[in-house]
Amino acid sequence: MNWFIENISTAIGKKLLMAVTGLGFVGFIFVHLVGNLNFYFGKEVFLKYVETLHKLDPLIFVAELVLLGLAVIHVSTGTLLFFQNLRARKTRYAVNKSAGGRTIGSRTMPYTGFFILLFVILHLFQFHFIDRSQMTPYDAAVNTFGNIGFALVYIVAVILVALHIRHGFWSLFQSLGLNHEKYMPLIQTVGIIFAVAIAVGFAFVPIYIRAVI
Amino acid sequence: MTLESKIPSGPVHEKWDRHRFELKLVNPANKKKFDIIVVGTGLAGASAAATLAELGYNVKNFCIQDSPRRAHSIAAQGGINAAKNYANDGDSIWRLFYDTVKGGDFRAREANVYRLAQLSVNIIDQCVAQGVPFAREYGGLLDNRSFGGAQVSRTFYAKGQTGQQLLLGAYSALMRQVSAGKVEIFPRREMLDVVLADGRARGIVTRNLVTGELESYSAHAVVLATGGYGNVYFLSTNAMSSNVSASYRCYKKGAYFANPCFTQIHPTCIPVHGTYQSKLTLMSESLRNDGRVWVPKEAGDKRPPEQIPESERDYYLERKYPSFGNLVPRDVASRNAKDQCDQGKGVGETGLAVYLDFADAIARDGREAIAAKYGNLFEMYEKITGEDPYVTPMKIYPAVHYTMGGLWVDYNLMTTIDGLFALGESNFSDHGSNRLGASALMQGLADGYFIIPYTIGGYLAGTRLPDVDASAPQFKEAEAKIREQVDRLLSIRGKRTVMDFHRSLGKIMWDHCGIARDEQGLEKARQMIAELREEFWENVNVPGDAADFNQALENAGRVADFMEFGELMVKDALDRKESCGCHFNTAYQTEDHEALRDDENYCNVSAWEYTGPDSDPVLHTEPLTFENVELTQRSYK
Amino acid sequence: MSSKTINLTLKVWRQNRKNPAGDLETYQANDISTDMSFLEMIDVVNEQLTEQGIEPIAFDHDCREGICGMCGAVVNGRAHGHMPETTLCQLHMRHFKDGNTIVIEPWRATAFPVVKDLVVDRGALDKIIQAGGYISVNAGGAQDGNTIPVPKENAEKAFNAAACIGCGACVAACPNASAMLFTGAKISHLALLPQGKPGAKRRALSMVRAMDELGFGNCSNEAECEAECPKGISITEIARMNREFIKAAFS
Repeated sequence: MNWFIENISTAIGKKLLMAVTGLGFVGFIFVHLVGNLNFYFGKEVFLKYVETLHKLDPLIFVAELVLLGLAVIHVSTGTLLFFQNLRARKTRYAVNKSAGGRTIGSRTMPYTGFFILLFVILHLFQFHFIDRSQMTPYDAAVNTFGNIGFALVYIVAVILVALHIRHGFWSLFQSLGLNHEKYMPLIQTVGIIFAVAIAVGFAFVPIYIRAVI
Repeated sequence: MTLESKIPSGPVHEKWDRHRFELKLVNPANKKKFDIIVVGTGLAGASAAATLAELGYNVKNFCIQDSPRRAHSIAAQGGINAAKNYANDGDSIWRLFYDTVKGGDFRAREANVYRLAQLSVNIIDQCVAQGVPFAREYGGLLDNRSFGGAQVSRTFYAKGQTGQQLLLGAYSALMRQVSAGKVEIFPRREMLDVVLADGRARGIVTRNLVTGELESYSAHAVVLATGGYGNVYFLSTNAMSSNVSASYRCYKKGAYFANPCFTQIHPTCIPVHGTYQSKLTLMSESLRNDGRVWVPKEAGDKRPPEQIPESERDYYLERKYPSFGNLVPRDVASRNAKDQCDQGKGVGETGLAVYLDFADAIARDGREAIAAKYGNLFEMYEKITGEDPYVTPMKIYPAVHYTMGGLWVDYNLMTTIDGLFALGESNFSDHGSNRLGASALMQGLADGYFIIPYTIGGYLAGTRLPDVDASAPQFKEAEAKIREQVDRLLSIRGKRTVMDFHRSLGKIMWDHCGIARDEQGLEKARQMIAELREEFWENVNVPGDAADFNQALENAGRVADFMEFGELMVKDALDRKESCGCHFNTAYQTEDHEALRDDENYCNVSAWEYTGPDSDPVLHTEPLTFENVELTQRSYK
Repeated sequence: MSSKTINLTLKVWRQNRKNPAGDLETYQANDISTDMSFLEMIDVVNEQLTEQGIEPIAFDHDCREGICGMCGAVVNGRAHGHMPETTLCQLHMRHFKDGNTIVIEPWRATAFPVVKDLVVDRGALDKIIQAGGYISVNAGGAQDGNTIPVPKENAEKAFNAAACIGCGACVAACPNASAMLFTGAKISHLALLPQGKPGAKRRALSMVRAMDELGFGNCSNEAECEAECPKGISITEIARMNREFIKAAFS
């Protein structure tokens, strides 16, 4: 394993860690979004979906552990990168302009990442670590988004997630070495569409709840 | 001292083989006992340092820039010649040899040139193996093009950045030896003296350009690869730090300086645009393969080029030299451009330019094909001038580019100081009085990869060299002398900047010792340089301290040497009472205004010996004999 | 080449060996011809400073034709100034307007310590090459050049990567001061050629490690390097390096 640790702790190794874990989250968030779409078909359909999901329980538990693992790696590597990168330029420029490479997504990556972490913790406390015998996930959503403050927090958070994906999606392909002049424009476009879909798909849940229910 | 060229006997094509056999070898186990100093990291220096290290010698390699990869070889654009005959168009080692001797207007040694042509073949193989990304055909084989002055396609190239790619190849070989611990690199060091012990070169003194400290290094032999002295003209295509100081200080220690007046003026450069200008930019002469050179037929015609109809244009090179046309050798092309401008036919704001027009080539081959060949050169031109050469013809003018003169060396590349070798542009050896295009890269690499590794072995194996340490009194003496000069420069605090003096010197040299020379002008130049030199030492303003990173001080030392050296150039030009190649004395020309040689009296190499600050240098001559290429008047008609 | 003149205010980073703290100093650059290059403009200012008894601004420069990679400074927040694919020496004053204020700073990266004013030490780039940026062949042993056919397309791609001039603008422009574009370009150049294949694994691993040890930052795919590279080197070279690294590290 020595060789593995050695290689994975290089600059490219850390990129790979971020890419692979990020890819995991892209998959997860996609599934999560598809699941959430059930919400728009009413309480019964949604709870049926929840029930089906929980029938897979041992698997879900494993999935949760995997996600936790991914999160630990993604967050700790990201934090390490953030501080290492600060150290790589101790004196900052008096004037610093972008040449056009950076996007708002790439520029804010560590910060959106940090807020997403806080948000995920909040989200877990509001939806995951609840007494399911007292409250269905559907009720939890209705309760939470009934509060305008929480609704806004969630909307802002998914926009940040979208920003994070805006850079993260194509970036993970680049990190894995999958940058080809023929396909990269497609990957870029898919990334942007995906980011927008995530923002719109998730943000409409609180809006829907407040407007309709 | 008589000049012994040490050319081996026998037929010209056997000389190098015979010589390699006759050279003594250093036992492989003993090579690690020898330290060699290589000054310079251009094509010659880097290839020499890397190859000597590969053989097992301990190499100390010095460069003036912050990294060995930046030496000025990097700026060579067009290509490198090799007698591979891949194009199947009749090339051969003999033809490359013949072309080079003839192109040099019979002022080079046949034996050296033949060896160069032989080795050209190995250079390409070596560079390919190193991963130099040469241009290729669709079949995957190497592509060739024809290049200034040659009627065969023997030039290998990597777009317009051949020098860069070859240098990065040599640099990578060098870096490999650094990581192997066989080469130690000393960047930001300027060599300011060579140190002799028992009459042999045993070390150098450098100034650390960051700290200002003087540092001494000893070795068993010193290899100089410090390039040319084109910057004596202030404006040239050379890099800003290119200078004569290393060579000149060796000259002052006893190395003879050969043919200093042989300077090549490159025909295709971007014209001068203002007094503040710091350097001239070369446009590769490969442009002449497709571009057509012309001026208006009428003197004083100031119409923009697109308004001058075909019938009122004079494609003067095609007219005067029907068989070579736009591809005549550099000296011929430069002189003709100057002639046209002197007749008032020059174009552009200053009237010091001629057109190089691609309209026909674009119409014939399409814009894309032209862009593929010259795209980067066109971009560079547009960046500098703000004009688009796809639409408006380029304006070009000759500029100082390469110096064929240099330290005199024998067949082993050793100077008249034992143990001091000179390679590449810093020696005088292979190009006679005019260098052909794509031959400089060839010579630098031949010297470094394939000649010095053998000949230095012959020297080291055949010479008893007692231990000499960098703390020896000779080093201390040299350091003290340098310190004295530095202190003197810093103490003047006069009114004129170093650059100002350099500009004045350059103007004198360009006006009187440039494309065309005459006795009167040269005499005048001699006088003017002496006066300028006197003023320099009374009125130069060198700011800052000795013990610091001080670029003004670096330049002051270089300009001081250029001034003395300029006088030597003028003296050499005055002494050579003939025209040959790039040395064009207006008193000696044919009816067609071509250089008229005097083979009876000047078929020789002039080698100057320094005799002291207040006495004239002494001339020694090495006669040149031509047994294989018949001495003829060059004709490119 | 119609020239006019402009007046500028310069704010230049001055830092010497005695005062490593450094600061921006303000100078006037008057009557600057728009045909001048940026470095010629500094030459003119330096001439004036010298005459005023002020020490001239130290800056690295050599070939002044955009190929040696010696020059470079961050001009108004942009490495080598604001023109695309242009080194500082090829940046011409016609791209500035009369009355402009220009802030000039050295490359900033922990791996590139400032020597003086605008001059930095880029020796770290040489060390990356020393770690494996070469093909291991000794002089003299090579076979005929045409025995190694290289597809034209690969040769051109290799050339595009090899066009790197080692100026360090990628590091200067990278928000993380990473040297991935520099390293990626060299690894790509050699990986694209058959000659480079035998040493590819070792090269990728050791060059990447060297980059880390020298204190460069990590790549976060911001692509600022590509946007600032005076030779237009693409981040696809970084992707290729990543592939080479993955192949070397996990096979």
